[in-house]
Amino acid sequence: MAIIERPSTEIAVAGGATVGVKPSEALGVFKRPGASNSWRDWIVTVDHKKLGIMYGVAAFVFFIIGGIEALLIRLQLMGPDGKVLSADQYNQMFTMHATTMVFLFVMPMVSAFANYFIPLQIGARDVAFPRINAFGFWCWLFGGIFLNTSWFLGGAADGGWFMYAPNSSTLFSPSHGIDFWVLGLQITGIASLTGAINLIVTVLNMRAPGMKLMRMPIFTWMALVVQFLLLFAMPVITVALFLLSFQREFDATFFDVAAGADPLLWQHLFWIFGHPEVYILILPSFGIVSEVIPVFSKKPLFGYPIVAMSGAAIGFVGWGVWAHHMFASGLGPVSVAVFSMATMAIAVPTGVKIVNWIMTMWGGKLQFTTAMLFAIGLVVQFTIGGLSGVTHSVAPSDTQQTDTYYIVAHFHYVLFGGAIFGLFAGFYYWWPKMFRKQLNEGLGKVNFWLMVVGMNMTFGPMHILGLQGQPRRMGVWTEARAGEGFFNIGFWNMIASIGSFILAVGVLMFIINIVYTHKSKRVPIAPLDPWDARSLEWMTSSPPAEHNFDAIPTVNHLDEFFHRKYAEDPNSHEIKQVASAEEVLADLNSRPDEHIHMPSRSYWPILVALALPIICYGLIYNRLLMAVGAAFLLLTMFGWAMEPSTASDDDFDPPAPGEGGGHTKELAPLG
Amino acid sequence: MKNPRRRFLSLAGAAAGLVAVAGCAKDAPQDTWQPAGPNAEMIDNLQRPVFLVAGIVGVIVFAAVAWVVFRYRDRGQAIPEQTHGKPAVEITLTVIPVLILIGVAIPTASTIFDLAKTDDTQMVINVTGQQWWWEYDYPAIGDNAAKYGLSQPIVTSGQLVIPENTKVLLRVTSRDVIHSYWIPKLNGKKDGVPGRVHLLRLEGSKPGIYAGQCTEFCGLSHSYMRMETIVLKRADFDAWVANQLAPYEAPAEGTLAKEGEALYIQQCSRCHQVNGLADAEGNLIVSAPEQYVVSGAAPNLTNLMTRNTFAGASWDLLTQECRDVVWKASADEFGAKYLAGVSADCLNQKDLREWLRNAPEKKPMYVDPTKLQETGGKYRGMPALGLTEDQIDALVAYLLERK
Repeated sequence: MAIIERPSTEIAVAGGATVGVKPSEALGVFKRPGASNSWRDWIVTVDHKKLGIMYGVAAFVFFIIGGIEALLIRLQLMGPDGKVLSADQYNQMFTMHATTMVFLFVMPMVSAFANYFIPLQIGARDVAFPRINAFGFWCWLFGGIFLNTSWFLGGAADGGWFMYAPNSSTLFSPSHGIDFWVLGLQITGIASLTGAINLIVTVLNMRAPGMKLMRMPIFTWMALVVQFLLLFAMPVITVALFLLSFQREFDATFFDVAAGADPLLWQHLFWIFGHPEVYILILPSFGIVSEVIPVFSKKPLFGYPIVAMSGAAIGFVGWGVWAHHMFASGLGPVSVAVFSMATMAIAVPTGVKIVNWIMTMWGGKLQFTTAMLFAIGLVVQFTIGGLSGVTHSVAPSDTQQTDTYYIVAHFHYVLFGGAIFGLFAGFYYWWPKMFRKQLNEGLGKVNFWLMVVGMNMTFGPMHILGLQGQPRRMGVWTEARAGEGFFNIGFWNMIASIGSFILAVGVLMFIINIVYTHKSKRVPIAPLDPWDARSLEWMTSSPPAEHNFDAIPTVNHLDEFFHRKYAEDPNSHEIKQVASAEEVLADLNSRPDEHIHMPSRSYWPILVALALPIICYGLIYNRLLMAVGAAFLLLTMFGWAMEPSTASDDDFDPPAPGEGGGHTKELAPLG
Repeated sequence: MKNPRRRFLSLAGAAAGLVAVAGCAKDAPQDTWQPAGPNAEMIDNLQRPVFLVAGIVGVIVFAAVAWVVFRYRDRGQAIPEQTHGKPAVEITLTVIPVLILIGVAIPTASTIFDLAKTDDTQMVINVTGQQWWWEYDYPAIGDNAAKYGLSQPIVTSGQLVIPENTKVLLRVTSRDVIHSYWIPKLNGKKDGVPGRVHLLRLEGSKPGIYAGQCTEFCGLSHSYMRMETIVLKRADFDAWVANQLAPYEAPAEGTLAKEGEALYIQQCSRCHQVNGLADAEGNLIVSAPEQYVVSGAAPNLTNLMTRNTFAGASWDLLTQECRDVVWKASADEFGAKYLAGVSADCLNQKDLREWLRNAPEKKPMYVDPTKLQETGGKYRGMPALGLTEDQIDALVAYLLERK
């Protein structure tokens, strides 16, 4: 029987005697939080799975907020001379819609999946730095809340999500909105950076025996590429945000034309971050569908090494295309030509992925579960977004389309039709793993089709609107410029607005599905391996125990789990099932690991993270408050640093139950 | 499970149809597929085949997905062979897009350089954006003066007037934030960035009004920063230049317009220049918008009624019927109709009066005195002047003569 251990305080000293130390007494601070089932456990947890779920829930709340912002935008643009929002409110709305969807929904939802599934997919027990993982989550959450409090404190940021200088200076945006935006993103950026380092170290160092890089599940591969992109992209935006906040808070002149600055500096910095950011948003979803399509095709991913390497190639070339966002900004023809060609080049590895997904399905045995439908939806819709992307790479043509609704159509096909459909495929695919119940397939199909219809009705017409010359970011459009006949922008704006509400109902169906699945008594517990899956995360209980695996499996194949269930008949060359999932798991658990070492919970991550918004409120309103926040930050960092990695059982709070063995316990056999 | 297939086929059809018909709209003033000049045509000649190729590739991909979804749906077949890929297939399907993209890249590169040429310029105009309108400054230099009769500079706003079949080079910049100059039927867009001058070729091959809009988000009233470019036959252009350079004619004594002139001097001339306007002692009045406005500029109103839109081309100076007469005129008749300007009968009284009554209510601007600390009390836009209805009558009468 396996033993789970918390590090013990019995420190061996010279001579063989042991000395008991009670850190809480020594330092006069908290006892280490012990296990409990109360809400408090979520505050102090360092479990990557719990953090993943918290990322997911909070990100989904922000998804709803960003969605409401989008609906208000569509209401405003439904007819000419919209009166739903004032010009000022409209500018805040589209700025915060984009900011919320990018930084507070898609990125953290990716973190949710990456946190939950990377350790499981590579056969690890947790991430490399569990407390930093928790710290990252709280930073992100507090940053997001901080950012959104600006709605109630004089108005949100109003400069557009790429916040071009000099429109972002206090002269042109005197409210505190942009201050909140800059500082809020700075805080959430800490989460991205720490998360990136954490997951890179985890993937590179903590893989199960035999899990070579080229045996890693493709989601882990794509997530790894994304962590490298984050590692190099976040510092760029961090610098840009610092420059902007120094300009706004301390009258620096980095983007002040009168002082000799060139406002294009901001654009370069922003897009050197911003373009890799696009891949940060989409690659994880590529990874998810690359898991889902093989499972429901009953075939391995076609061209696995090429898919993995094309992901890495996108990661590299993605650094050389940023100026395609700036074809109208007055770069010389040589720069424009170079970035135009580089942008065409990146279409190749992207196209390779589409081909490989189709080839994976080719000759397969396709099951159209909701997860599979969302994955196919991504393939089709991303293709549309990808092809409109190729039309942008043709720089002269792009000078007609940039900053029009054609661009809005393009990136929503990529990010909604692509990234978000991929995330929904992930929800349906991994739900039984995380929550023991399968989401209802019938409701799921309704969910899918409403989202497909809504998404294409909302964003499809935007191609027409853009080609008819409707610029983006305009709070009102006028009948005088609308044109006549079938392609007048009035009609298509109306269609897009109706579509957006269908899309919203589609998302609502997902929420209804969750409520139904977990409230209805008729929904049974999901089987161990409901989809006949292929990778390691399914080779443990659902949801996995805190320590993930009783025994870390040794990996011999890509798609290890599949190969333990199925084998090729040497004579007939037919693929035959040789073991059920339960049998595979029982076999694995028959030799449990002897000593499982798990990290302890901690109060410090949330406390350190809490100091950051205090500092930022202080920076905006009151320098004394800032000093208080800074002092709090220093103290909590000190507390974190002093928190011993070892503590005796009675130094936990609540004290360990039973006779001193609460934190070092025997495992109940997994069912 | 036939639904997905049907859906994908319809999607594919919709995408192809969209590409094919997007160029067919009627009377869409900002349609990007109806070029009316050689620069826009160069772009159009490039984008049509590119969109077509993209559409064809899309249809092939959708057809492949539809076929796979139909053919390989689970009908109880055996678990397929666990193949990990076929190098020949992968190489082929990688090389094909590479070849297509090379085919696209070559004409793209040559067009980029063609559109950046400046050595064939015939006329230069300075175009300056500020919140939330465009100023045009025709310098009296070089060929402008020698060949186009610009003996003095002309400063105007909102509507850019250029002669037909003339290679005009715009020198685009900004006085405050970044704006973007875009007349879709004449060329792609170019940002006006403060501290930088960007060059944009513009040429119209048919007389008419070509609408455009600022496309770089520029703050509160971004939606209300519109513009037009007017293409005139050469003779009409010459007449336009002569009229712009004609000396100031003061209103006749005792008229309502004369009252309006006094009111203009008192209320408007601090920011808005009218060339030749003089005070009671005969001293020329020079406006000083830099003292009152963040951008340091306000539209020159010397010939306001020769233009037919105002306030960042956001409202018409012409009533709907009169507007249609000009905007829908044939190429041959257009010049005469445009040069007629705005008459008393054709004046769109409603919008102009609302503007004079309370400009920031009509077009959102930063004029609230309690929120001007950051700007040192300067406005971004035009404040409400608190005029009485009688004063507005007089001002309208005065402005009507500015043509």
